[in-house]
Amino acid sequence: MTEFLKGNYELTVKIEEPADEAETSATEEFEKKALSRLGGSICFVRKKGFLWNGDTPEK
Amino acid sequence: MELGRRIASRLTEATFERVAAVGLANAERNQRVIRHSILELAEASLGEGNSAVVVAAGPSLHRRRSLERLKASAFTGTIVAVDGALGACLRHGVTPHVVVTVDPHAERIVRWFGDPMLVAPPRDDYFRRQEMDPAHAHDEIMANRVLIELVDRCGPGMKVAIATSAAPAVVDRCEKAGMTLYWWNPMYDDYDRPGSLSRRLHAMNGLPCLNGGGNVGTAAWVVTHAVLGKTRVGLLGMDFGYVPGTPYARTQYYPELRELLGDGFAEAFIHVENPFVSETWLTDPAYYWFRDVFLEMAGDAGCETFNCTEGGILFGANVPMAALETFVAGGGRP
Repeated sequence: MTEFLKGNYELTVKIEEPADEAETSATEEFEKKALSRLGGSICFVRKKGFLWNGDTPEK
Repeated sequence: MELGRRIASRLTEATFERVAAVGLANAERNQRVIRHSILELAEASLGEGNSAVVVAAGPSLHRRRSLERLKASAFTGTIVAVDGALGACLRHGVTPHVVVTVDPHAERIVRWFGDPMLVAPPRDDYFRRQEMDPAHAHDEIMANRVLIELVDRCGPGMKVAIATSAAPAVVDRCEKAGMTLYWWNPMYDDYDRPGSLSRRLHAMNGLPCLNGGGNVGTAAWVVTHAVLGKTRVGLLGMDFGYVPGTPYARTQYYPELRELLGDGFAEAFIHVENPFVSETWLTDPAYYWFRDVFLEMAGDAGCETFNCTEGGILFGANVPMAALETFVAGGGRP
């Protein structure tokens, strides 16, 4: 939510984010990090052909 | 959907996270030593005719004695090997025309070419645990010493299709062994999107970007048909899986799956029935993703692909399985 709502003034009180949202974020971060270790050694780019050489037509 | 397949479906993005930063850093370091583009390989004399064999490093390569049989078959086409299969090829008297390397790992990959800096078994158990070249699992130091000699002897006769993501140690080793290096960029992302890394990399070094399909085996197959122009390609050692009965602890991604899933790690493994050999193979999310991607890419390829691995999990409408001898004799279509 903090990504989408931004104020143009300063609040005088500190608003705590709900604990479950913070936990979800930590879990997602852990998963992202762990999954990156499961990935391959080279990317796969869907529907972009096999070879791209700039302005020359792709094969 | 099973847990393993769910994880596999997220590995396209995960791979970018894993390799993009280090691959691009290596590309900058390698810039000064780039002499040849991979496109020059299309003009080179690399075997006869339009057929090629791609040698990957899966366990069937040893289990099915594929290299002994390739040698005995008097195959005269092109032989393209992945880095992990180079040692096995040379030990069996098969000198590949082209060796493909891509993984940006700073220490591991140079071992596939023989690491002159290795004097004692390292703490990293990767080579003792992996299934790709059993020689390294038995006696790492001796296997490395033998490989250094073999690569030094055969190096001048081999060409390396090397990705700009390769670690400088690999580049240095290949050059010192007398191999000629032909460079390409891994395709990191959609080159039509604003801010594309692939486009920026191409602008930096002028090299073509190759869609690698997640792993060096698939990248070698892409090199073979999209760069060398081979229209009939046989695959050896392309298992994307583990021999039935392989303990989980001896699989490629065991430590990572254990860390991610704890005691429930076994749920991430997938079992696939291979009808060609009537065996149920074990695979993990990464290898399963490689398989899905390969089958998708095979549908768009301008070549016929025959999987002569005689094991593993890679088969489908566009990738029929065939015995090696059938492929070499010109057959293979069901």
